[in-house]
Amino acid sequence: MHLGVIAFLSLYPALHAVLTSSVLGAEAVAVLPDIETMTAVLYFGLFAMSFDFISGYTGYLSFGHAAFYGTGAYFVVLAANGTIPFVPSGTPFMVLLILAGMCALVLALLIGGVSFRLSGVYFAMITLGFSQVLYVFVRGWRYVGSNPRDGVFVTGRSDGFEIGVPFIDQLTVAIGQLTGDEVNGFLGIISLSATEVTYYAIGFVVLLCYFSMQRILNSPFGRIMVAIRENEARTRAIGYDTFRYKLAAFAISGFFAGIAGALFAGVRRSVSPDNSLFFLVTGDALLASILGGFGTLAGPLYGRLFDESVREFLSTGGTGGGLLPYLRGHLPTSVLDADLFGVTVRAAVETFLNGHASLYLGLLFVLFVLYVPNGLLGTIQKRSEGTVTSWLMGWVERRR
Amino acid sequence: MSGVIAWLSHCSVAGVPLTADVLGQFFQFETLVSVFLNGLAKASLYIMIATGLTLIFGLMGVLNFAHGSLTMIGAYLGGTVLTALVASTTGDPARFVLFFGAVVVVFGTLTVFGGLLEVTLIRPLYDRPPIYQILLTFGVTLVLDELARIVVTFYGLQPISDWQAALGTKPDILTRSVTVGSVSVPGLALFEIVFGVVTVLAIHAFLTRTRYGLIVRAGSDDSEMVSALGIDVRRVFTVVFALGVGVAGVAGTLLLWDPNWGASVPLATETLLPAFVVVIVGGLGTFRGTVAAGVLVGLVDSTMTWWFQNAIQFTGLPEMMVFLVLIVTLIVRPQGLFGLAEVGGH
Repeated sequence: MHLGVIAFLSLYPALHAVLTSSVLGAEAVAVLPDIETMTAVLYFGLFAMSFDFISGYTGYLSFGHAAFYGTGAYFVVLAANGTIPFVPSGTPFMVLLILAGMCALVLALLIGGVSFRLSGVYFAMITLGFSQVLYVFVRGWRYVGSNPRDGVFVTGRSDGFEIGVPFIDQLTVAIGQLTGDEVNGFLGIISLSATEVTYYAIGFVVLLCYFSMQRILNSPFGRIMVAIRENEARTRAIGYDTFRYKLAAFAISGFFAGIAGALFAGVRRSVSPDNSLFFLVTGDALLASILGGFGTLAGPLYGRLFDESVREFLSTGGTGGGLLPYLRGHLPTSVLDADLFGVTVRAAVETFLNGHASLYLGLLFVLFVLYVPNGLLGTIQKRSEGTVTSWLMGWVERRR
Repeated sequence: MSGVIAWLSHCSVAGVPLTADVLGQFFQFETLVSVFLNGLAKASLYIMIATGLTLIFGLMGVLNFAHGSLTMIGAYLGGTVLTALVASTTGDPARFVLFFGAVVVVFGTLTVFGGLLEVTLIRPLYDRPPIYQILLTFGVTLVLDELARIVVTFYGLQPISDWQAALGTKPDILTRSVTVGSVSVPGLALFEIVFGVVTVLAIHAFLTRTRYGLIVRAGSDDSEMVSALGIDVRRVFTVVFALGVGVAGVAGTLLLWDPNWGASVPLATETLLPAFVVVIVGGLGTFRGTVAAGVLVGLVDSTMTWWFQNAIQFTGLPEMMVFLVLIVTLIVRPQGLFGLAEVGGH
């Protein structure tokens, strides 16, 4: 199953290129998310996974998780501008990635140490409180830039951020749409644009993080996390110091959220309080987790893929496809000018489709909470009484 | 090393040292009274915003994430009524009468809406873990905010900044300051204090003096027992949810005239977060606690606003203080000021 998904994701750019240039090109452009969006899906998916790692597996809703994402993102941008002491602006990105993760980990230990005295709604609220304090603080902190409310850009280095093995140039590629590397004629056949290189490089890091988290969850440590979710009192009664396990899980989750934030900053080369530290960023992770499946590690990635696809499909469509430009371009004028309850179809389309994806996602979200509480992946797992792989294997067995 | 020094110099947030001069200025009678009255005005707004949330949580254990959006809708609805009825020639007394008319309209509409919301969406979730109710109301917020944005854009009412036409319906007397002796207080602040006190008294009377209030209080203590006594708790849930939503709407209408708030789509998150803070600081689900926490947060807010305007330069710190109050309270007293350790299965 994993292999299938990885294969699909690695073939996606080629598939996208083929489909968009085929006969159904216009339809494909409208429906399929483009590669930039897919890159965003990957790093935000990692953040959503790290959110699910703590919230879905230990049952403690960490509503201030954006604090760690933002810490990672700000760390990278500030380090690249040379404003963080002892971290020169030329530090390799891979080192920054780890450092950003460690920063978020330390922050998680501090916040978690205080917050895990509480549970339930109180825990959700105190973590929200911490992240909002950080948000307001960074928004007014002159140190990060001259206009902290609008965020900061990378000005200290003009080269792209490089993902790979530090100090070995052959194994390193720069990411970013404008500054990234291109690959021409690798092995004689593969040529990739900067966007695609970025996609693969980010995908590789996300994959690595995913398998690390997967490994932790399948270890005895991960079993204890689930035990805490199911019944904390009993877990304590059989002798586990649940506070320590919760704190450690929170710290690990913070580490990966920091890495996700660092990747985000690496691709975007800028960060603002509103797209990294604000509590609605956590809300987006929550949305992805619910759609994909709460308490399934890979679920949030699919949830985010779904979320972003719908958003892009319903977006104003400046860059990629989307429904609105498609309808504008392909509906005949007679239909567009037709009268529909007092407004023209054109006006209705412009009003209800112009960047209002949140409305439809919200409706979907409500329906999911009501009728598909386990999410996309969780439902399949529950139906099959096991992982998706075993369900697929069983299906193949039955067909033989 | 120079990097560290630069870092430290930026870290010192206080641009101006705290001098005895500023302290003396703060402890003058006029300053104290005006800070106190402004604090009370803020407090009554905070209490108004948070009360509905508390009522709902206290009885049902549902943390209503859509509360802020409902407040925002209340503000727009009240604004619609006022802008439709108030002309520039309308006198002050008539404006007050129309305002209370708008309050009644908003309360009625949102109470019905809240009832529908509870019956259709929240009711199926009572037997699931409480997290699902949070999630559901979070989804409702997304829908309501986006719908509001569509409607507001469609009618050109500025979704981001305040709705100026609605601000213009404010009676003249509220835009002036009232001077008593050497202290001058904004008229709006006095109006907000009076409105807040009346609402608090009304809700208190409802909870302690009426039969229905008795059932509500009993239900928040032990809803199983109440239903065993033959009372239809489900219906009480619906009524209380509806009332909570109605109060949220009224709070929105009150915010309409305040230049610090005003009707706008982001009002939803701007009010949701302080409402959470007040409810949590007071102790989830206790009305007494909410009032106490509202006063506390309001006074801290106005004091800090004064300090940051006069002594310390750091934008946004009053906003931050609200959350610092939350964090400090939860560290010192995890269940909130008046809360019990376990409420509503949380």
